[in-house]
Amino acid sequence: MLTRRRFLGYSALSTALLASRPLLRSGFAQLPTGSTEAPFRLAIIGSVYHLGSNLQSIADRFLVGYPFEGTWHIPNVQVVSVYVDSLVPKFGGPLDWGWRREEARAARRTQGEPGAHTGSSAQQIEPGPPHPPIAHAVRQRPGAQSYGEELPENIGPATDLSRARSEEFGFRLCGNIPEALRAGGERLAVDAVLAVAEQGDYPANDRGQILLPSYDFFQQCVQVFQEEGRGVPYFNHKQLSFSFPEAKQMVETAERLHFPLMAGSSYPVTWRLPDVDIPFGAHVEEAVMVGLGRFDGRDFDALEAMQCMLERREGGETGVKAVQLLEGDDVWQAGREGRYSRELLSSALSRSDTPLGLTLLDGRNQDLVASGALPQLVKDPAAYCIEYADGTKATLLMLNGAIMDFNISARVAGKGLVSTQFFLPPTPDVSNTACLAAKIEQTFTTGKTPYPVQRTLLTSGMLEACLDSRHRLNQRLETPHLAVKYQPPRESQYVRT
Amino acid sequence: MAQNKTSSGKRPKLAAVVTAIRLYSHPQHIVDRFLDGYGWNGTFHHPQMDLVGLYVDQRGEGDLTQELMDRHPGLKVYPSIEEAVTLGTSKLAVDGVVVVGEHGRYPETATGQAMQPHFRFFESIVDVFRSSNRSVPYFNDKQLSSWSWSQSKQMFDTSREMGFPLQGGSSLAVTWRIPSVEFPTGATVKEALCVGYGGVDSYDFHVLETIQCMVERRKGGETGVEWLQAYQGESFWQAYEQGVWPHSLVKAALSRSSTLMPASRIFTDVYPSVKQMRELVPDPTAYRYQHRDGLRCTMLLMNGLVRDFTFAANIEGESRPFSTQMYLPMPDGRTTLASFFSPLVHNAEQMFLTGKAQYPIARTLLTSGLVIAGVESIYQGLRRLETPQLAVTYQPSPESTFWRS
Repeated sequence: MLTRRRFLGYSALSTALLASRPLLRSGFAQLPTGSTEAPFRLAIIGSVYHLGSNLQSIADRFLVGYPFEGTWHIPNVQVVSVYVDSLVPKFGGPLDWGWRREEARAARRTQGEPGAHTGSSAQQIEPGPPHPPIAHAVRQRPGAQSYGEELPENIGPATDLSRARSEEFGFRLCGNIPEALRAGGERLAVDAVLAVAEQGDYPANDRGQILLPSYDFFQQCVQVFQEEGRGVPYFNHKQLSFSFPEAKQMVETAERLHFPLMAGSSYPVTWRLPDVDIPFGAHVEEAVMVGLGRFDGRDFDALEAMQCMLERREGGETGVKAVQLLEGDDVWQAGREGRYSRELLSSALSRSDTPLGLTLLDGRNQDLVASGALPQLVKDPAAYCIEYADGTKATLLMLNGAIMDFNISARVAGKGLVSTQFFLPPTPDVSNTACLAAKIEQTFTTGKTPYPVQRTLLTSGMLEACLDSRHRLNQRLETPHLAVKYQPPRESQYVRT
Repeated sequence: MAQNKTSSGKRPKLAAVVTAIRLYSHPQHIVDRFLDGYGWNGTFHHPQMDLVGLYVDQRGEGDLTQELMDRHPGLKVYPSIEEAVTLGTSKLAVDGVVVVGEHGRYPETATGQAMQPHFRFFESIVDVFRSSNRSVPYFNDKQLSSWSWSQSKQMFDTSREMGFPLQGGSSLAVTWRIPSVEFPTGATVKEALCVGYGGVDSYDFHVLETIQCMVERRKGGETGVEWLQAYQGESFWQAYEQGVWPHSLVKAALSRSSTLMPASRIFTDVYPSVKQMRELVPDPTAYRYQHRDGLRCTMLLMNGLVRDFTFAANIEGESRPFSTQMYLPMPDGRTTLASFFSPLVHNAEQMFLTGKAQYPIARTLLTSGLVIAGVESIYQGLRRLETPQLAVTYQPSPESTFWRS
């Protein structure tokens, strides 16, 4: 099978950037102290490296450290190479063009020109000079509103930072993935790979799935691994692929080539309010998760957060036998019919710190279920209904307009309700990605994943199946292909210390 | 005097005496929770008590009192404190009082402290207790008196003499902790520190109470404070660089922050050098003080660097500092509910139901005194002040009372 990714041009880098630099550490990042071991060498591959991108948030943690267990932890790592997909002209040409194209887009976005959308215009190439004027395009950084500060003159929210990072930290900026893994040489030259595919200029399909290149990133790395005869630990941020068969193939490939594959979102590992988990081996009757977002990646995050709790139930994970994605009034009707428990919905909402509606007006607390306010607040509800093979049922309700955080409540036989909020610290820090970085580092240094990649595999499949259901006019779909069975670790893996 | 017993099974009746009910004012947060309920323990909880009498000291622009009355017909607003707690009769007619002396507009002292009416409210209520020959549990939000040590002490002493439970203080002491940890009871601690934000004579109280709710659990319990010195501006940075307070504890605390401001604007989460902190924090304040058993504590207000409250302490026998964040879901754009009022109100409910304070008011007496001493030290040109009046000794409640379920 050929995809457009396979046609990636192996473009030349400008000589100035190819120059090998000594490892430069910024003033605020120190080399790890007390470690006598050689740092592990890391290749980072991703879609976009700008302020607030997932790649920036996660990759930076391996450059400047991150808060971990009450200290500022500096990983014993050397980032040797970075590949940024958005910078690479897809049909050849100097890498410079990619930067200029990004800068031009950034400038246009701030000027509000038409055509400056972030949509699917990947094939649209804007070659070469002239260099766009960006000097006066001062913009607010994402989340900077409350800080009341502005960014430096030449940095915008969509400005590529990989060049600046490369100069500051001395890693190699690469024009293709094999080069990143070989650090410019002939052989595999890194000890681990960190891959963050996220929304950039990727097209969407008719199901509303953005065709993120996670699988393509992975396959290109695997090619290098195969030529080398060995693989290295690999982290894949969020879903393995928009396509379950591809995701499954990724998991099988990692097993076949015996390299650790870790994947997933930061939601399963972030702090919880309160600090609770499903008791290991407990009989879970039903769960309801509430959150916000739609077909924007956050549905994956929320489904995986739900999954990381439910997989602990009696018998371990058995897979999913059917899904249905409900929308509009059908969501409320399903509640009235008991398709999901309104008690659990109310319980999950009781963990929210962000009810909207009247709370915005006068600060009051609201029982959004009892008051009947939900249907008034949520104009486009969606319910992701999951039926597990062992009969457990779970529902993710996306309640845009009612709340702005992610909460779950589950009914556990003999224990009552177990409910919590998945704490997402505010921008710009978004320190939930620090929680994830700690798990990634653990995988890289120990060669063992803290939780099974099957969690992410199943969640990737659940999301795809839900979007299929939507595509088929919200039908219930049997999902025999999602018979993914696995046992989670007994010890909870979210951050608690 | 006879204590009101609420164990009879009847729903307690409460009166609230507050400054002003406006959006996101303390009275709004607290009174609303008694009337509307709030999320607690995974359900939407309705307090098993009825708030029936209300006195609002200042109405006017932004006042939400009428709206509150409209949606709670059982609530009656009275023109005086006496009438609110007697429900318009001649005798105390409620089983508990909820007093919020925060917010509203009040004159300032010479040292620039707002003369919040905690003590005036207290006197009026206690007058009714006396004339009715009966007293009831008394919840007092935040400080005892925000500006007068003698008033604070008198409130404390009066509650003891008359034998009614008095409880309050800062929500920082009872809110979520990230991670969810308690200070080890009986631990030996030499240095403790909290980094917070906000203004002097405002959030300093919260930072101080954050420290105090932890260190009071140390070996021997609380012994009181013997001196305090404030630092601001250049003296703050000199003290910082000289290591007057341990850098290791600052780092431990800041590593618990979720709102650490990146020193470099092309990063989003990065640890700052002292030089970078100087650039981020134009107007820092520290209170450095020593307890009578030798424990030294530091309160840092670092506006511009953080927007949360983080605690760290060196505990004997531990190789690394003990640290946590006292997490406030803050409706400044981060959340819409100030949910940290929920554990404050929940602990108040427990007091009204059991007739027992859930944590010692002596903590709040000491922290009220520390704020007054801190402001005084600033007023006297950052002079170190001996604080013999702060020889407040007490033992902590054995049970943890912070939010964790």
